[in-house]
Amino acid sequence: MQQRRAISLGAYAGSSAFVALALGVGLALQQFLASSNIALAFLAAVLASAVTYGLWPSLFACLVSVLAYNFFFLPPVYSFTIADPENVVALFFFAVVAMIASNLAARVRDQAVAARQRAKTTEDLYQFSRKLASAITLDDLLWATAYQIALMLKVRVVLLLPEGETVAVRAGYPPEDMLDEGDLAAAKWCWDHNRPAGRGADTLPGARRLFLPMRTGRGAVGIIGLDSDRPGPLLSPDQRRLLDALSDQAALAIERVSLAQDVDRARLEAETERLRAALLTSISHDLRTPLASILGSATTLSAYGDGLDATARAELARTIAEEAERLNRFIGNLLDMTRLEAGAIVPQAELVDIGETVGSALERAGAILAGHRVEMELGADLPLVPLDPVLFEQVVFNVLDNAAKYTPAGSTIRIASRRDGDRVALTITDEGPGVPPSNIERIFDKFYRAQGTDRQRAGTGLGLAICRGFMEAMGGDIRATNRTDRSGAIFTLTLPLRAGAATATLSEDVT
Amino acid sequence: MNVAPPRVLVVEDEPPISRFLRTTLTAQGYHVLEAECGKSALDMITRNPPDVVVLDLGLPDLDGLDVIRKVRDGGSAVPIVVLSSRSDEAGKVEALDLGADDYVTKPFGVDELLARLRAALRHRLQQQGERQVFRSGDLTVDVVRRIVTAHGEEIKLSPREYDLLRLLVTHAGKVLTHKFILRNVWGADTDVQYLRIYIRALRQKIEREPDRPQHIVTETGVGYRLRASD
Repeated sequence: MQQRRAISLGAYAGSSAFVALALGVGLALQQFLASSNIALAFLAAVLASAVTYGLWPSLFACLVSVLAYNFFFLPPVYSFTIADPENVVALFFFAVVAMIASNLAARVRDQAVAARQRAKTTEDLYQFSRKLASAITLDDLLWATAYQIALMLKVRVVLLLPEGETVAVRAGYPPEDMLDEGDLAAAKWCWDHNRPAGRGADTLPGARRLFLPMRTGRGAVGIIGLDSDRPGPLLSPDQRRLLDALSDQAALAIERVSLAQDVDRARLEAETERLRAALLTSISHDLRTPLASILGSATTLSAYGDGLDATARAELARTIAEEAERLNRFIGNLLDMTRLEAGAIVPQAELVDIGETVGSALERAGAILAGHRVEMELGADLPLVPLDPVLFEQVVFNVLDNAAKYTPAGSTIRIASRRDGDRVALTITDEGPGVPPSNIERIFDKFYRAQGTDRQRAGTGLGLAICRGFMEAMGGDIRATNRTDRSGAIFTLTLPLRAGAATATLSEDVT
Repeated sequence: MNVAPPRVLVVEDEPPISRFLRTTLTAQGYHVLEAECGKSALDMITRNPPDVVVLDLGLPDLDGLDVIRKVRDGGSAVPIVVLSSRSDEAGKVEALDLGADDYVTKPFGVDELLARLRAALRHRLQQQGERQVFRSGDLTVDVVRRIVTAHGEEIKLSPREYDLLRLLVTHAGKVLTHKFILRNVWGADTDVQYLRIYIRALRQKIEREPDRPQHIVTETGVGYRLRASD
């Protein structure tokens, strides 16, 4: 308010200055010009005031000019009286012409100002639409919208989106995340009826804010809530139109982002569906293959066992035993995976001798690794490591099982451990074909199987996924790399050594 | 020596499993008794105690753990070998702590079950008159003279290492839980990490390949077992 008065005082002072200038010019030229022509100098001052300051300052200039012209140039000079009736008429017409001219000039000026304002608004809207187009997440988008509305309309803004049955604040400028009950009711009504509610509206006018729906062709996508400390109507008709433009743009952008999210969700569902299909394929294949061998061997033994020699009978019995073991491992993997996904894996960390756990995993994998050579190089001074021995043994077993599957018989599998700062690393190195570099991360995905080696003995595609799940549950990590000295894969299992888990010693013992 | 065949009570509610156990155990010279639920098993143990019990932990009426508890509360020391499922280490440990002698994890090979049964029966006989020298592969332990030899050499053990090995020898072939070993060697519930360190030390002295032990076997999540040659 204070500032506005200062501006208008300045305008009147400026107008007076124009008139003073005209007066100076008139006094300087009065020797050479008729007094009626000097009136033109004052007319110029009035027009200048109109173009520069608008209507009211120019009318003021008009009045001052009439008085000054009368006082300084119309006889008797230096008085406000006029002797010649002709001059009265002249002064009257001067006043009329000045007023009409100032009116016209002031209107031209207002139009120019309005045009500039429109250009600025258009520019702002354009910038806003660019900002919206570049927003990727819904939160960015809502924040940009709230900020823009607050900036352009000089109001406080909240944006609400539907959430279940009701609506909830998702952005605000200045930041705001809760509404009082009255406002929330107005917002809800606005959302339900797709019409304005709250302050200044027909419905719930007692609310602190005015709530307006943001609409697209498909319907409302959200709610804008506005308030300000200014008394009187919240928005002028112009501001209301501007708000509509902002709101339409924001609504379209919100719809775009929501559609993108829907597409993402659909893609995720498709992925889940693919996994489920893979699971069913895996289960039916991996359960039925060993079952077919078992059933076939067992029925052969019972129906034709008498006609077979001892070697053949032993062979069939061995097949039954081996395939049952395989089936058991597969079911074990399914159980482990289910427990992992159900979040039922709660590691029981104890200080464990890694070598011991590796030893028992090797013992269990004895039959699978019968055709391979195993070399061990475990640091004798390795400290005890906090881990869940049951889970870790399963991890080592699965990696060994994997190595046995993908490497040729007679090749060597090397198991080594080393201390790496505050971590312990166990590496299992084989002499197989290695992992295709493009799939080095995917091999830990569920149901992933290395391509091209999908021989009859290929596994369930669960073993390594379980390894990763178990290692992460224990705060560790498993990675696969390829050997650089020759073909072959390296699986590295790392585990943190908790602070304080220093090497326990045998000092209490006296030999 | 002509003794009566050992009587084994099989407590199992799954007919296919009890059928193959009956066939196999009979063929191996056992006299097989059968019970399908916990109540009848308790009844049979009280009325006419068998030499050894094979107990499935998942029974229709009573929890297998309750059966063990009731048998031991009733004062019976009959050896019990538990059949348990994979990924139930806690259940195995609990069964052993309650007084079961050993366990076999389903699914199991019959040789494994027979080894457990033999160890359980032998342990009962041993308590009546312990042998002086334990021999298994390249390991011998003379419990009277306190002399241990492995791969042909006499091994020097610290007193506590010897106590540990001695305990394992006394229960050769049987699984011993961490808790049981700690209580018997250290006299209190010490931290299990001490046990792990002593086992490592012991293996380095008596095993040919300490990382791939042939004598002291780790039963992950449960305890240790000294392998016994039958």
